[in-house]
Amino acid sequence: MAMKTGDAFEAKELPEEVKATLPNVYVDDLLMSLKYFIDEDKAHLRIIDQAVCARCEYKPCLYFCPVGVYTQGNDGRIQVAYQSCVECGSCRVGCPYKNIQWELPRGGFGVAYKFG
Amino acid sequence: MNSERIEFDAVVVGAGLAGSAAAMVMARGGLNVALIERGQKPGGKNYFGGAIYTHAIADLVPDFMDRRPPFERPVTEAGFWFLGKDGLTRMTVQGGELNADPPDAFITLRANFDPWWAEQAQAAGAFLIPKTTVVDFIREENGQVTGVLTDRPQGEIHAPVVIICEGVNNILTQKLGLIHRDLEPAQMALAFKKVISLPMETINARFGLPDDAHGLAVSVLGDVSLGLPGMGFVYTNKASVSIGLGVMLDTLAEYRLRPYDVLQRYLDHPAIAPLIKGGQLLEYGAHLIPEGGYRAMPKLATDGAMVAGDAAAMVNALHWEGTNMAIVAGKLAGETALEAHSRGDFTAKVMSRYEDRLSEGFILKDLKQYRGFSRFLETHPQFMDVYPNFVNGALGQFFTAYGKPKKELFKGMLGSLTNRRGLIKAAGDIVSMARSVMGW
Ligand SMILES: Cc1cc2nc3c(=O)[nH]c(=O)nc-3n(C[C@H](O)[C@H](O)[C@H](O)COP(=O)(O)OP(=O)(O)OC[C@H]3O[C@@H](n4cnc5c(N)ncnc54)[C@H](O)[C@@H]3O)c2cc1C
Ligand code: SF4
Ligand code: SF4
Repeated sequence: MAMKTGDAFEAKELPEEVKATLPNVYVDDLLMSLKYFIDEDKAHLRIIDQAVCARCEYKPCLYFCPVGVYTQGNDGRIQVAYQSCVECGSCRVGCPYKNIQWELPRGGFGVAYKFG
Repeated sequence: MNSERIEFDAVVVGAGLAGSAAAMVMARGGLNVALIERGQKPGGKNYFGGAIYTHAIADLVPDFMDRRPPFERPVTEAGFWFLGKDGLTRMTVQGGELNADPPDAFITLRANFDPWWAEQAQAAGAFLIPKTTVVDFIREENGQVTGVLTDRPQGEIHAPVVIICEGVNNILTQKLGLIHRDLEPAQMALAFKKVISLPMETINARFGLPDDAHGLAVSVLGDVSLGLPGMGFVYTNKASVSIGLGVMLDTLAEYRLRPYDVLQRYLDHPAIAPLIKGGQLLEYGAHLIPEGGYRAMPKLATDGAMVAGDAAAMVNALHWEGTNMAIVAGKLAGETALEAHSRGDFTAKVMSRYEDRLSEGFILKDLKQYRGFSRFLETHPQFMDVYPNFVNGALGQFFTAYGKPKKELFKGMLGSLTNRRGLIKAAGDIVSMARSVMGW
């Protein structure tokens, strides 16, 4: 029962009454608890082809990223706030089109957990 | 240019649990070891629940308690909580084996534990190189690995053996061709948690712990993840609580769920919220867990290289036990590297002795035994929802009077299960659960 990829990716819906129990969290409140060494010179995440994103019907990256790195701009393009990435790898494996070029940040950069 | 060729007897990629264990064993065996870590210091990238098992630590550092490990609390109470829609049933044990000395497991935080663990390797003579990301291998024409390439200027580090302990994002393991693609989203759980600070006395009172020499570690099932495959956890630190949950990545993607919304829903649960009320958020974070088990493992060794820990999917998906497997596998890889040095043979023939060593111990046995379990949860999501709700309802009825004859009550209880999941089906579930755990 592997997740379908590419154009075959299918979103599923929760029952409305279950969905209604989900709160709407403002992710920036969580980001404030995290420490980063930001690499201003090099983005370690990159959308390979925005045209593929445009074709991607459900855009799951906008949801499953635990720190909300991916957002959609007014022009419809996917924006990547790589600075808040916690390097979990979910977008690397979870993008149904494998349309994200995912690298590790350069040595010393990126998230630095204080508790972990 | 190559006048300053950097040469070690062995290179370890990643100063996590597996990596520092491998480095420790090799340094003690007299090798000149480079332990390369991409973070500012060991632990800064690492994440878990969590509880760490002492058997694995003691195996490498028998006198670990004398070396002041940064533990939070020993696990003196462990088990399951079943969350219903608004209730909670606790099934935990305390005392008995949990009172062993030293305890079976300690609760800890990785940003504290991993530096200490790496220090044990450094004390044995391993050379820690932090703030350095390994990006590729140095290989001979026949494929034999003879070192690594880092992102430092002139970043080549040569060594006849490389142990890859890079964690769940096993990019280098893939680069070597030990596995040909990423794990499927359905073989990974994304786990996310909050560390919430509370006064020690408050934690003791709320969790029923006599003092800070007692700690609680529980897995939480039921109304944790909207009825979708997932599992929560609670660990009591000294003066904070680690609380979070893991949900399969395909589920998050397909249902388009925001992890932080799901986490908040769980923390707002009427049985959970009072436990953390008034606490301050110290840190939020997230990490993947490779749950594919035995079937998802890469080839473990090749000419000049071995893989250990999460990079090789060595996690027991039922218990989320990965720390002990990582440590023991790191150790066995280190021993194999020592053997290779003493024979002067670094080909796959000697490296594959690592796999033999793993087969002799608990790791491959456990992983084989549990190989059906991750698929089981995929195909039986009711284990995550219907049954915990049933337990809550049933116990709730059992311990309340209602003024009804007990026989009727029992019928009602079974009814509440059979409505949701036919009785025969329920019996079938229990058999398949047992099979998946026993590895039949
Ligand atoms: C939320 C959560 C809860 C968990 N709870 C528990 C628990 O309670 N008990 C338990 O036993 N297990 C638990 N686990 C599993 C356990 O944490 C892992 O199995 C364990 O951390 C694996 O150790 P490792 O050494 O293989 O990898 P890691 O600890 O991930 O270490 C990998 C290291 O390699 C470094 N690295 C990676 N790539 C490079 C590179 N290219 N160059 C240089 N350095 C690199 C990283 O920075 C890191 O330090 C949990 C996991 C999660 C996510
Ligand atoms: S990055 Fe992947 S998931 Fe996100 S919109 Fe583009 S194709 Fe879709
Ligand atoms: S690696 Fe994880 S945190 Fe970083 S962008 Fe991808 S999903 Fe978000």
